[in-house]
Amino acid sequence: MQIWGIILSPLLALVVGIFFLGLSRKIMARIHWRYGPPITQPVIDIIKLFSQKSISHGTIFDLGLILSLAGSFVVILFLPLGQMCPLSSGGLLAILYLMLLAPLGIALSSGEAANPNSSIGISRKFLLALGYEVPLLFILLAVMTHYNTISLVEIVRIQSTTGWSFGSLPLLLSGIAYFLILPAILGIRPFEIAGAGQEISSGANAEFGGKFLAFSTIQHALHEFIGISLFVNLFLGGWSLFGILEPITNTVWGVILGIIVFLIKMLIVFILGLFINAVFPRFRIEQAIKYLWKWPTLFAFIGLIVVVLVK
Amino acid sequence: MSLELLIIVAFGGAFLTYFLGKISSKLRNSFAVLNALALVVIIACLYGQTMEKSFYFGFFSLPLILRNNVLSWFFAIAISVLGALSVIFSLSYMRNRERTDFYYLMMLLVNAAMLGIVFSGDLISFFIFWEIMSWSTCILISYNRGPALAAGMKYIIMSIIGSMAMLVGMLSLYTTYGTLNIATLSTLVASSSHGYLLFLLIIFGITFGIKNAVMPLHTWLPDAYAEAPSPFTAVLSGMLTRMGIYGFLLIMYVIVGAGATLHLGHGFFTFNNILAWLGAITIVIPTFIAMLQNDAKKLLAWHGIGQGGYMILGIAFGTSLGMAGGIFHTLNHAIYISLLFMSVAAIQYRTGGVRDLNSLGGLIKKMPIAFIGGLLGICGLIGIPLTNGFVSKWLIYKTLILNGAPFLAFAALIGTWGTILSVYKFLHNIFLGQLPEKYKNIQKSPFSMRLPIIVLSFAILLFGILPGIPLKVINAIDVSLGFKSLNVTLWGIASDSGTLNTINIFAVVLVFGVIIWLLFKAGRKAPKVDQYDNYAAGAAIPKGKYHYTVDYYNPFYRMATPYLKDFVDVFYMKIAKWTQNLCNTVRRIYTGYVGNYVMYIVLFMAFLILIQLKWSVF
Repeated sequence: MQIWGIILSPLLALVVGIFFLGLSRKIMARIHWRYGPPITQPVIDIIKLFSQKSISHGTIFDLGLILSLAGSFVVILFLPLGQMCPLSSGGLLAILYLMLLAPLGIALSSGEAANPNSSIGISRKFLLALGYEVPLLFILLAVMTHYNTISLVEIVRIQSTTGWSFGSLPLLLSGIAYFLILPAILGIRPFEIAGAGQEISSGANAEFGGKFLAFSTIQHALHEFIGISLFVNLFLGGWSLFGILEPITNTVWGVILGIIVFLIKMLIVFILGLFINAVFPRFRIEQAIKYLWKWPTLFAFIGLIVVVLVK
Repeated sequence: MSLELLIIVAFGGAFLTYFLGKISSKLRNSFAVLNALALVVIIACLYGQTMEKSFYFGFFSLPLILRNNVLSWFFAIAISVLGALSVIFSLSYMRNRERTDFYYLMMLLVNAAMLGIVFSGDLISFFIFWEIMSWSTCILISYNRGPALAAGMKYIIMSIIGSMAMLVGMLSLYTTYGTLNIATLSTLVASSSHGYLLFLLIIFGITFGIKNAVMPLHTWLPDAYAEAPSPFTAVLSGMLTRMGIYGFLLIMYVIVGAGATLHLGHGFFTFNNILAWLGAITIVIPTFIAMLQNDAKKLLAWHGIGQGGYMILGIAFGTSLGMAGGIFHTLNHAIYISLLFMSVAAIQYRTGGVRDLNSLGGLIKKMPIAFIGGLLGICGLIGIPLTNGFVSKWLIYKTLILNGAPFLAFAALIGTWGTILSVYKFLHNIFLGQLPEKYKNIQKSPFSMRLPIIVLSFAILLFGILPGIPLKVINAIDVSLGFKSLNVTLWGIASDSGTLNTINIFAVVLVFGVIIWLLFKAGRKAPKVDQYDNYAAGAAIPKGKYHYTVDYYNPFYRMATPYLKDFVDVFYMKIAKWTQNLCNTVRRIYTGYVGNYVMYIVLFMAFLILIQLKWSVF
């Protein structure tokens, strides 16, 4: 079971992440009254990029990108995917810290690219991260305190018996706060600051070409997958569906259906995010931080106080 | 191996080094290194031995005692290894400087005094060694003259305040119990009244709080770290400042004892809760102030304060997990912060003393070992998994969350994110980006600098992947202080409320890294290009100007600069100014003219006579 999980969950995340990229282009196009590219367009792009010429700026330029992609895959192993969770040691705290590997790798890689556009992109990326980490940490602490565990698997398991966190009163505010910062975590508009194509030549991606850009695209896809799947696991009960799947837990069909339910939940959250992405213009970085430190932080802070008081 | 021998080797070696320096500098250098290494060997041989021995009687009829136990040994081995590496690092850093004999004397003296502190078995010898350490530190901080003199002055004034507080505490202990032997005290003190225990903890807390730079007693630290010679800053930041943590452990859990310390006060206002909140403040504010620094050493210095907060937070909580986290973080911090200071020192050595983050860049191509040191150092500082900082921080967070202190946990966690921003700026501005033209022909650092950097980098990874090695010893400390034993394995820690296993994280990172690297190799080969072969939207690249370092987090600076000032320091400096003005006024009385003094005497006599005539009191 664990071996299958280690092999299957990264592959599944890869496929779903890239599918989401294609889907997002299609849905965005339809909202803009265009026809849009086929859903398989990102796959075609990645294959094409692999065969194209590229340049390298040094060893860290290569290794940083490899580290960031490896880091993303490792995080996926720690996230429960339905009932399947290959690794769980260290719990949510380990996930929180493993999620640093990917941005660090990208930052090292585009740092060595010696291009000011990349450096500005990284600077914005970290500032945005500081912006959403404040509410995010309140939210995660509220969840961990409420369930009195640091294990994400445990949090999902408790939700399958007592109902989703989003539906439970003490965690409602935290859930709303998470949804408010979700676009910032995913880096979509109005928070598309770090990769602003028109201002700073896609920021961190400025010097990436050929296979580097392909890797960076895959990393981006995985990043979206991680952001949404954390939300689904924490607040939408992971694989649980109003107790319908309860009788067949731990059977093969239970696992497969659990994954399907989980992915459908992710899809719904993602499409909601896309609607926001389609209609909003881009924030400036100060505006983004001011927004993130105002309403979401307030909700998350009160949410944490509520959780502490209820206990 | 006996403890007297250790102290004799430590102090005798220091003075002998000074005199050998008068004969030949080569002889002095090799003797200093040998002496520092000999200390490591002696201490390593003392592992696992518990002993206590009086070496001198008759100091006011109080015996001076040396003793060894697992807590002393743990700090001693860290001090001696770090001291040895720092002496090795000094070999080339201090070459061609003046007063080098004196530098080595002071360096080894500080080392010896710290060993004396951790091995002393009574408070008198503790105090003597503490003072030797403080004074020699002051002299070393001021070594470079100029602004360093002011930094040294600031340090010694705060240090003296701390020492006086400790002296008061010691006198009170002596008058109450008639002994200053730590082992005896630890059996006597616990049964005292709560008020007296609180007095003891606060008075010693001031001493150790100043040394460990707990807010609001931290103001000596940034200047001292920045101005001291860099190899000494490594020692100062690594172990010397952490004598404060040793002191806190000594007073809280050895002398007063865990049972008494953890139940002082009511509700929110218990001693350890207040200390934990001070620790949390010490994490958050300095970490954000660090983001504004443009001086590489000052940036690290502010992180030195911030990381001290994690240790305080860990040990203030007084659970076996928290204690393990706090003590382990002390060791980890010593490793990565001294590594970072050594990397900066290597850069300073090659660029002629430049530590301004706005004028460096691109040095990764010229000084790869210093870069590796810097990279692993910041990874440890942030607490990236697979580096040592992760394990200790994980232990601390887990303690905080499971003990129902989410707000303290928030302070600790947000500190990490503040850290990422400033240390990435540190790494980027020194090593990444465009290499300025003037540093084109820079050499890589000499071997005696590379060796300590490599050893410490290796230690970061080793303790990150196999944290069980130090945690076994730390667990023994936990048990000796009366806490529950932890279930420690070589690659992590198991408990009923969630386990940590670093080896499987390491394995999956390695496997995925290799798979992706193979995929990367399978793609079309990417030729390496020059730093000027770069995207600039079709425009020509301005040499030496295509670099983004100044005001790295500009939007944030605009928002936060007015709020992120060291208000405590401003306040202390104001007090210093007032005192100076007051003393200046008082000095007006002492004019130096005999006539004036005669007049004072006559006036005073007249005043007395007046009183006598009026009321006839005498």
